[in-house]
Amino acid sequence: MEQFRSPQRQSSIGILVLFFDTLRQYFRALWPILVVWFFKYNHGEFLYVVLGIVLIVVLVGVVAYLKYINFTFYLDPDKEEFIIHEGIWNKTRTTIQLHKIQQVNITQSLVQRLIGVYALNVDTAGSSDKEGHIKAISHELALELKSKLLHNERKKLAITPDSNEHTSNQAEPNHPFISISFLSLVKMGITSNYVRSFSLLLLFFFTIIDYADKLLNVNLWENEGIENYVDTQRLVRSIFVIVLILFGIVIALNLSRMIIKYFDYKITRQKGSLLLSFGLLNTKSTIIKPEKVQITSVSQNYFQKKMDILQLKIKQAAHNEKEERKTGIEIPGCNQQEKEAIFNLLFQKIPQKGFRLKPNYRKLGFAVFLTIVLPLLGYFFFRNNIPTFNKQYDYIAGIYVIFVGLVQYFKFRNSRLFIHDDFIILQSGAWDISHEIIEPSKIQAITTSQLFWHKSIDVGSLILHTAGGNIAFQLGNFTTIKSYVNLWLYELERSDSNWM
Amino acid sequence: MENFTNETIDITQLPKFEAVTFTKLHPSYWMINLIQIGIAFALVNLGYAVIVLNSAEVASHQVPIGLGIFAFFLLVVFFSRIAFKKKGFAFRQHDVLFRHGIIATNTLVIPYNRIQHVALHEGVFSRIYSLAKIEIFTAGGSASDIEIPGIEKQQAENIKQLLMGKIQKEL
Repeated sequence: MEQFRSPQRQSSIGILVLFFDTLRQYFRALWPILVVWFFKYNHGEFLYVVLGIVLIVVLVGVVAYLKYINFTFYLDPDKEEFIIHEGIWNKTRTTIQLHKIQQVNITQSLVQRLIGVYALNVDTAGSSDKEGHIKAISHELALELKSKLLHNERKKLAITPDSNEHTSNQAEPNHPFISISFLSLVKMGITSNYVRSFSLLLLFFFTIIDYADKLLNVNLWENEGIENYVDTQRLVRSIFVIVLILFGIVIALNLSRMIIKYFDYKITRQKGSLLLSFGLLNTKSTIIKPEKVQITSVSQNYFQKKMDILQLKIKQAAHNEKEERKTGIEIPGCNQQEKEAIFNLLFQKIPQKGFRLKPNYRKLGFAVFLTIVLPLLGYFFFRNNIPTFNKQYDYIAGIYVIFVGLVQYFKFRNSRLFIHDDFIILQSGAWDISHEIIEPSKIQAITTSQLFWHKSIDVGSLILHTAGGNIAFQLGNFTTIKSYVNLWLYELERSDSNWM
Repeated sequence: MENFTNETIDITQLPKFEAVTFTKLHPSYWMINLIQIGIAFALVNLGYAVIVLNSAEVASHQVPIGLGIFAFFLLVVFFSRIAFKKKGFAFRQHDVLFRHGIIATNTLVIPYNRIQHVALHEGVFSRIYSLAKIEIFTAGGSASDIEIPGIEKQQAENIKQLLMGKIQKEL
């Protein structure tokens, strides 16, 4: 403990890390102002711009230096505490009792990799926000500090009973049992999230047209010559090109998002839980504890199936409502084998599909009514009542009906609930087909629901509530649903099964 | 280990949750509903009166709009009545059931060993009729919590004690 007894600073070269960190923070806070400033930029003021940039760099540099000077950490061997002091104006003192430390992670982001320093994070059993976080430390020092933090007297006593397993796991902490290759990320990037990115782009596209319309007083719609039937061929060709370009942008955006977010994805096994670390610009790391996992979902579309990649999403028990949305952890670009390895760790076996429950055809009927019939009625109302209505929109309406009709049909066809003794699997989706897997023992409460006009045809819905979200299946055979609800309740109430 | 058996479960012989008879809410709870709707009605009418006095355009149509508001509140009363009639609860040996809904019939079942905590709530109007509301929370988020209103205070207290006892035993 001698080495860390007196308060010490981070690696001096770490000022650079702090510099980029501060720069990013400021940029995040100020980017709207920068954008406005950029658009108002006058070409005569070149000198001011240079001066401004120099000023910002100096300012951020000073702040980074002050952060560096004011950040110290040390070990108190008598009280068995790890103490961090930080803050320029607001001084913060974080004290972590050594026996409460659960995990010490050493990670490296891109900036840290370029400079050659590491980050060290200390996780405790308590809340997630009061953790120790050192941003720049050399590798040897990090390793030493880690071992000092993890091996203290009280902890040794607590660990002895299962020390065998412990040491064998600790011996190879740096060997990830799954690491997702760059190629898998590329495959994932070009095959996922089409709908979301495309709708965002479409929105962007229409906003720009709207702006151009208002600002420049040019109507792009009319200029494109939609009315001009002679030019149909040219129009089709230009639309085709636009769609192609849009598609290219969508793929490029997805690809870069995927790579920035999930670069160098590593999964390591540690004392029976999974330790994930990923990210290009800043490395994130999370822990998945199998007993805390509530819903595991696997999603795959047609292309991904052909390339043998899939996306896993794991939802753990949330401590409070606020945290709930954040607790979904994504693992992109696994293949079949890796998926099975993860399942073996989470469930000790491979989930099986059991009895298959199909929805009633009324589910399709209702979806079609909501998404096609109602909008069409609205459309025809406007079409017949507004004299200046452009009849060209009929094409768009037609495309809409075909597209949404197909989506609803596939959604209906893929909507299935598989019930097995140990697993309940909900299959859903039109293009991206997802399987949400829960174990019956994770159920917190069950809702059954039936509309009064569905009583005679014996159709009803089911919602399974878990601590990681709900699983809902609509309009299945109600007698079957009820008998399974009775079975699940019996299983839940018979034993004190552990859900967390 | 010698007591351990693992026989096949006959699913048809399991206790049926759908066959449970539900206890209806206390009749006075309907009065509380009516009071609440009445207050809302009075407030809306007050606002409407202010608008009529200030706007000549609205004043010229005041009768049909007034009738519309009245019809709307009649509908609200009608649906509240259905909702009130539909609500019911049941406590079985191992779980609590709550039935509610207007056009749909929803039945929510919470096993006692999944209850996180139980609370008792008394509203302003409930106190007049000495009624209380029992709130049962699980770890499954707000959708899986049960709120049973319109239970006599003493009975609610007993139920809370019962549930607390069950939770204690499970631990």
